[in-house]
Amino acid sequence: MPLQARYSDGATATMRDVVLALDTEVSSPELIIADQHSFDEIDRWPVGRVFSLPSHSSELRVGVEGRPAGARLVFTGAEPIEVAHALFPELPSHRRREAGRQLRILGFSTLALVSVVAAYVFGVPLIANRVTALVPPQWEANLGAVAEGQIMQIINAEGGFATCDRDPNSVANRAIARFTAAVMEGSNSPFEANITVVRSEIPNAFALPGGHAYYFSALLAKTESADEFAGVMAHEIGHVIYRHGMESLIASSATGLLVGFVLGDMTNVSVAGAVGATLIDSRFSREAEREADRFAAATAVRLGFDPAALATLLERVAGDDTMSQSLAFLSTHPLTIERRAALEAMVKETAGASHAPVFSDAEWQAIKAMCGGVAANPVLSPNLIPSARTHSVPRN
Amino acid sequence: MTVTTEGPWARAEQQGGRPERPGTFVQFTGGRGELFGRLLRGYLLMLPTLGLYRFWLTTTKRRFYWQNTVIGDDRLEYTGSAVQLLIGFLFAIGVFLPIYIGFFYLSFQSSTIAAIGYGAAALLLWFLSGYAIYRGRDFRLSRTLWRGVRFDQKGSALGYAVRRFFWSLLVLVTAGLAFPFMAGNLWRYRYSHTWYGDRQFTFTGSWKTVAGPFYRAWAVFAASIAMAVGASLAGYGAAAGLSVLLALVVGCLCFVYYRSRETSRMFSAVRLGDASLDIEVKARSLLGQYLLYGVCVIGALIVLGLIGYILSSALNANFRAADFSAANIARSGWIGVALGVGGYLATVSAFTLLGEVFIDCGYWMRVARGATILNLDSLDDVRATAEDSSVAGEGLADALNVGSF
Repeated sequence: MPLQARYSDGATATMRDVVLALDTEVSSPELIIADQHSFDEIDRWPVGRVFSLPSHSSELRVGVEGRPAGARLVFTGAEPIEVAHALFPELPSHRRREAGRQLRILGFSTLALVSVVAAYVFGVPLIANRVTALVPPQWEANLGAVAEGQIMQIINAEGGFATCDRDPNSVANRAIARFTAAVMEGSNSPFEANITVVRSEIPNAFALPGGHAYYFSALLAKTESADEFAGVMAHEIGHVIYRHGMESLIASSATGLLVGFVLGDMTNVSVAGAVGATLIDSRFSREAEREADRFAAATAVRLGFDPAALATLLERVAGDDTMSQSLAFLSTHPLTIERRAALEAMVKETAGASHAPVFSDAEWQAIKAMCGGVAANPVLSPNLIPSARTHSVPRN
Repeated sequence: MTVTTEGPWARAEQQGGRPERPGTFVQFTGGRGELFGRLLRGYLLMLPTLGLYRFWLTTTKRRFYWQNTVIGDDRLEYTGSAVQLLIGFLFAIGVFLPIYIGFFYLSFQSSTIAAIGYGAAALLLWFLSGYAIYRGRDFRLSRTLWRGVRFDQKGSALGYAVRRFFWSLLVLVTAGLAFPFMAGNLWRYRYSHTWYGDRQFTFTGSWKTVAGPFYRAWAVFAASIAMAVGASLAGYGAAAGLSVLLALVVGCLCFVYYRSRETSRMFSAVRLGDASLDIEVKARSLLGQYLLYGVCVIGALIVLGLIGYILSSALNANFRAADFSAANIARSGWIGVALGVGGYLATVSAFTLLGEVFIDCGYWMRVARGATILNLDSLDDVRATAEDSSVAGEGLADALNVGSF
């Protein structure tokens, strides 16, 4: 029985039942396609130019080069497929080549993507820095104002966020302003740092883009020396000078773009994307914290207060528990142990430098008394602060 | 002879015992098991390829649908390739980067400007998604081959996007009442610009075709909401909760009912020269698909939950035995996070996978098996036209998450 198939010439929308025969008389073998009933020859396909197409498991579908794109021969059933395979011995190797080609494309594009991700993860802390320098300070000040408005809104809804001492000329506020100016000196920062002590039950401090920083009364209550207070303020001013708020915005925008690209969801609604983005962003955030710590330590050395005092306060307020140690790579802050080690290394380098008080006793007493003892305000959710893209010293 | 169309088990009966109607039946020869296998393999391969395998998965999924749809003894063929989808996606990134940078710029502006900007961006994305739907349709149709001749979508994607955009605003303003007019208009635009070779499709339907079912469903749903609101206002505690639940169920039923009516009536208004399509999809058989999906989701959640429980308790036992060294704690942290992220991904993938197997595939099976074509022979003299090699449209659809099948 001759080999039967369904045939379309790719020019008209008809499928004809045909019989096939192989012509080996010519220089290169040709497949003769003839009508099943009249045996009239319809076409001749050069066997070497036949290629297979993805087809249903019950079929073998082949096309041919040099004919319309839709020209097809379709073999149905196990036996015709077997015979057809004998007719076109090249098909399996064609198919393997095509599979190999797809695999190479997939492999190379995956490699390209992996290198993009790697370049991003290791390169963005460097690039974000450069890009931040290009952002006009006015934009950053606007951003800070927006963030401040939002934070105030949330905090006011939860019972208020009162400034402890509203008089800018009080002993305490003048001492803080003098210290801030001394820290900022020579930094060439376009911003004016401005630290406000506010009433809150959360032991925390944070800086907003544009220069505003806050020191919470609960943290002040746990601050035992003027050097600890100075260390935290220097750390926050470090965030302002290095424009970390801006940097983290740039970095997380870039992360969103990357994760969107990886997951193929540019609208970024996917939560899986958010998980990946958080992992990458918290890495940048930890790097920013280290940079602010280094700034605080260098400032301590310059102004002559104890660089390790910051670490002492950190340990008192937020010592590492086992959970935070094991999940350190998810945290926005480095481990306290690690921060202490880095700060102490700085201390050793500068051993012998004089430790002069940055605040007089009277000033420090005035600062301690700013909020009139421990704050008595409703509890504020600690999650507010990281979500507002700010930086805080101790972890809550 | 009665034909059961309920549930997945009805396939065999349906294949063998269709009622004698004039015309040519469309057949669908695929099974959910095969689709499930392809999807599962594809999802797993997405992990090592950082998601890039999705273009290959879409291609293999389309081949499944196309190859198993048989019209008059001949299967459809999908001629698109994964690389085309990949390139299309790269084009789409070109469109998205400026939007993304715009978003970035907006985050520095005052709240009012930012709110206006984000609103404008949302409208732009909504507009773009209409464009993307049309281009995606063009991509799929122009890569669909039947009897050696391909389909095509002509007309203007921009024109379609404009229509869809303003119609959808009108639907929003009229609380849905303008929907049949939008449906009639957009179906007509899509089909009167669809071609098979050198022959143009026509669409004989209008808003009247779906007005009856739509307003019935709308009225029933509105009444159930009014009842829920009334009960809440009157302050009947338990009754109010129950009526909200009832409104939800009624809403789902109305949706399924309307979907089955729209599918049946609108597709049945599609003509290609002298050939015409006739489709009947029963609401209860569609509902069966949704119920099946619900049951499977619950089953999958139970299985995943059990696996998670076993893994985490095995882990706990392991660490209780071991001493609490820092390395151990760090390791357990990593494993815990990996377990959490893995569990999350598995759950989301299971939802999507089951949705594709039961809802998407179920819908297509119902449509294909409910379809009859009259005067199929009239298509014998259709002639093929030149190739269409545009690939950009589909990428945008993928990026906006509006690509189908």
